[in-house]
Amino acid sequence: MKNREQIRNFSIIAHIDHGKSTLADRLLEQCKAVSVREMEEQLLDNMELERERGITIKARAVRMEYTADNGKTYEMNLIDTPGHVDFNYEVSRSLAACEGALLVVDAAQGIEAQTLGNTYLAIDAGLEVVPVINKIDLPAADAPRVKKEIEDIIGIPAEDSPEISAKMNINIHEVLERIVTDIPAPEGDADAPLRALVFDSQYDPYKGVVVYMRLLDGKICPGMKVKMMATGAEFQVLECGYMLPLGLSPQQELCAGEVGYFTASIKKVSDTRVGDTVTGVENPTPEALPGYRPARPMVFCGIYTEDGSKYPDLRDALEKLQLNDAALSFEPESSVALGFGFRCGFLGMLHMEIIQERLEREFDLDLVTTLPSVIYEVSKTDGTVQRCDNPHDYPSPDVIEEAREPYVKASIMTPQEFVGNIMPMCQDRRGIFKDMQYLDSNLVELHYEMPTGEIIYDFFDALKARTKGYASLDYEFIDYRKSDLVKVDMLLNGDQVDALSFIAHRDKAYGRARRICEKLKENIPRQLFEVPIQAAIGGKVIARETVKALRKDVLAKCYGGDITRKKKLLEKQKEGKKKMRALGTVQLPTEAFMAVLKLDEEN
Amino acid sequence: MKKTNAATGGKPLGLYLHIPFCVKKCAYCDFYSITDASLKADYTAALIRDIKAYGERCSGYTVDTVYIGGGTPTCLGAGYLSEILQAVGACFAIAENAEITVECNPESTDQAVLEAMHKHGVNRLSFGVQAAHDTELKRIGRIHDFAQAQAAVELARQCGFTNISLDLMYGLPDQTQAQFLDSVTQCLTLNPQHLSCYGLKLEPATPMGRENPVLPDDDTQADTYLAMCRLLCRNGFEHYEISNFAKPGFRSRHNFKYWDLSDYLGLGPGAHSFLNGRRFAFARDIRAYISGESIPQDEEEVSDFRRQGEYLMVRLRTSDGADMHDLENRYHVSTAPYEQVFCMLEKHGLAAHEGTRWYLTEQGFLVSNSIINAVVEAGE
Repeated sequence: MKNREQIRNFSIIAHIDHGKSTLADRLLEQCKAVSVREMEEQLLDNMELERERGITIKARAVRMEYTADNGKTYEMNLIDTPGHVDFNYEVSRSLAACEGALLVVDAAQGIEAQTLGNTYLAIDAGLEVVPVINKIDLPAADAPRVKKEIEDIIGIPAEDSPEISAKMNINIHEVLERIVTDIPAPEGDADAPLRALVFDSQYDPYKGVVVYMRLLDGKICPGMKVKMMATGAEFQVLECGYMLPLGLSPQQELCAGEVGYFTASIKKVSDTRVGDTVTGVENPTPEALPGYRPARPMVFCGIYTEDGSKYPDLRDALEKLQLNDAALSFEPESSVALGFGFRCGFLGMLHMEIIQERLEREFDLDLVTTLPSVIYEVSKTDGTVQRCDNPHDYPSPDVIEEAREPYVKASIMTPQEFVGNIMPMCQDRRGIFKDMQYLDSNLVELHYEMPTGEIIYDFFDALKARTKGYASLDYEFIDYRKSDLVKVDMLLNGDQVDALSFIAHRDKAYGRARRICEKLKENIPRQLFEVPIQAAIGGKVIARETVKALRKDVLAKCYGGDITRKKKLLEKQKEGKKKMRALGTVQLPTEAFMAVLKLDEEN
Repeated sequence: MKKTNAATGGKPLGLYLHIPFCVKKCAYCDFYSITDASLKADYTAALIRDIKAYGERCSGYTVDTVYIGGGTPTCLGAGYLSEILQAVGACFAIAENAEITVECNPESTDQAVLEAMHKHGVNRLSFGVQAAHDTELKRIGRIHDFAQAQAAVELARQCGFTNISLDLMYGLPDQTQAQFLDSVTQCLTLNPQHLSCYGLKLEPATPMGRENPVLPDDDTQADTYLAMCRLLCRNGFEHYEISNFAKPGFRSRHNFKYWDLSDYLGLGPGAHSFLNGRRFAFARDIRAYISGESIPQDEEEVSDFRRQGEYLMVRLRTSDGADMHDLENRYHVSTAPYEQVFCMLEKHGLAAHEGTRWYLTEQGFLVSNSIINAVVEAGE
């Protein structure tokens, strides 16, 4: 029988680059959970993309054993969390599985906003937050200042926080001791009905979905019939156990307080939603754990392959990714300009970028993606309501009774000095100011109601840029509101390019149309004849540019009788042309498309 | 050079001889040449060896054009040049009215060379003048100045040459349109019968290509080209190929073979041939050529360019253009798709036609790569 008193469940909160992954690696090393030989940097971030971007995309958990100075051996479960507003919900579920969190702060840079958001989430979830001052080996390190900052801004004692260097392996032992002494052991009743919180799941080709969970009450063992309370799906547990750094370790049973996994030949991760409660089919718990929210895509875009014949590969790849990512949705769509592809839904822009990048890297696909969009709602004159995330489906103005767009409640936390930078930006994005609260003498929280469409493009990046990275953003869908929306069509040489159409608020349509025209002009190579570029609402042109005709493309030289060389040069040009997309009479290189589709609000 | 009566000869053949020696390589040039003068004797012997060998193989042909190019043929000197010319006359049947051209560089075209060439039947000289401004000449790595070029051309006339072509380049780094047109005007005072005006193209494997200087932009170059065309037209030149201009009756018959898919034989390292529908070339390696190890290799055919594509590619370089009847008879293809593209081009002022013969306008010449690809694609 395991002793609940000797279990510690914790996560690590840190700003990007403040050393979360390095610290995690050191903890694993000290607990001899991995030998130095097996040590690969950033063991927890095992997705190539995560290592490269230095961010954690999926939550991850690992178990290690630590023999403390008091002679007792503790079971330590580190639950790693993603760190981006797109994944706030996932973060909150990961934190809900812990009793404590290490707050890692860079001794030179001090506290940063991204950490703040997650720290408050942790405090709200009732977690014990243990500050750790990292990178004390840096010449610019100023541990006393950073400690004071933690006390002033977050309001938790930090005076005797461990001062460490994960990189140089200094004082890691102290961190482990503090986990034992400061973070409470989990509560819970092993004899009560099973109640486990799903904080992640992952698809394994051999075992099916591996569900990562934290047991709050009860036990789970192979053979047991379990039920997912939100989705209603029922399964028979095949295997349960611990997540060790280098793999899964099957166990006879898992008990209240523990962190572990189970498998049950589950085919789709969508059956095992993050935040769902696992309970027994016999003797179920009467009440699910609070806080479950179904994954709701907020951002949509069309994804196509550069090479149209790769369409089936794209479908396979999306299906594979969806196995591991319940928040990803997709359905087939087609475009005159781009061929066959998929309309995909995402939690937010980072989620979208990550999926695109994974498709390109892990599945070796070259993608073309359309401008992201939100779901609009249109009440039509015939009394029906149409939901529309694709400009292509947007009804014509004469049948629209009322158009509505989604709004979010945006909370921006920032040091006071940046308020003046943030407010005009929010206003420019049609944000409605609600209130401003002082969290302490320096830190404020701004509340806005904003159209989701204004947030999804690059709001987060712009916010970071205007606040030296200090501000943090959280947003939550509120409702649909009436809006003066227009659909803008782009025309090349008089022909409409469906993939470039977009829906926007009338006040924003002109500026964006003009930028797209300019971008197209920059990126469309000169052709044998002049190409007019137009943006139009209905039949009315609101912006135009012209690509001048090509003036010079000639092999002046004679090359003696080397006709083959000439042919090869022309062939090469033809090869280049094959990469072009023919839009009516205009040849458009894929890069031009990409450049226009990557258009962001700032330029 | 011994000449036969053209009427009695066989199939016409163009003969190209490559002289891969230069005193110094120009910064932009990627033709095969070396600066090691010590190989001249051995190379001359090797070339004559092949002239003999191929002369026997081509006994069914009558050579009606000879072109000695380089490199710098004139730097071979009067002696070796005479040997080569004599060998050509001895080993090939030469048409009586044959056009025999030698490329000349101003600095190495002395009286002895000129007299030797004249004596051995050379009747056309092509001078690499390139520019009339010494700063420009220096910039592109030429080792002569314009005064030397003027003197060489004068000397050539005194030696009896009456068919003289000059090479010029436009689109040089920092060159303005006015500067280039001034070069053309100064060259016209030398009273040439023919002008070749090439736009500078940066070849990656040359010093200039590696330097990658800023060249005048495409619009400037296009305007310069069109201004040059007007200037030469006013001075009585016919614009008969993208880069070539001639007084009536003085078109280069040898170069025209390249654009007419006629037979030509090229000897020397890096020289290309087109004989009986077969394309082959010698490796760019003078030592292998001298030792006789260099067997000409068939050139890889580019699959997408079918015969008719090749025909269009070369014909559309000329002011004669491509005759749809001719195309139909040669390759038994439908010309409708081509004509459709030509009509579109005509609307934009890039092509014109007389009956079934379509040709590119000067604006069309300027974008001929795109046009040729569009036309060829239409037929695929």
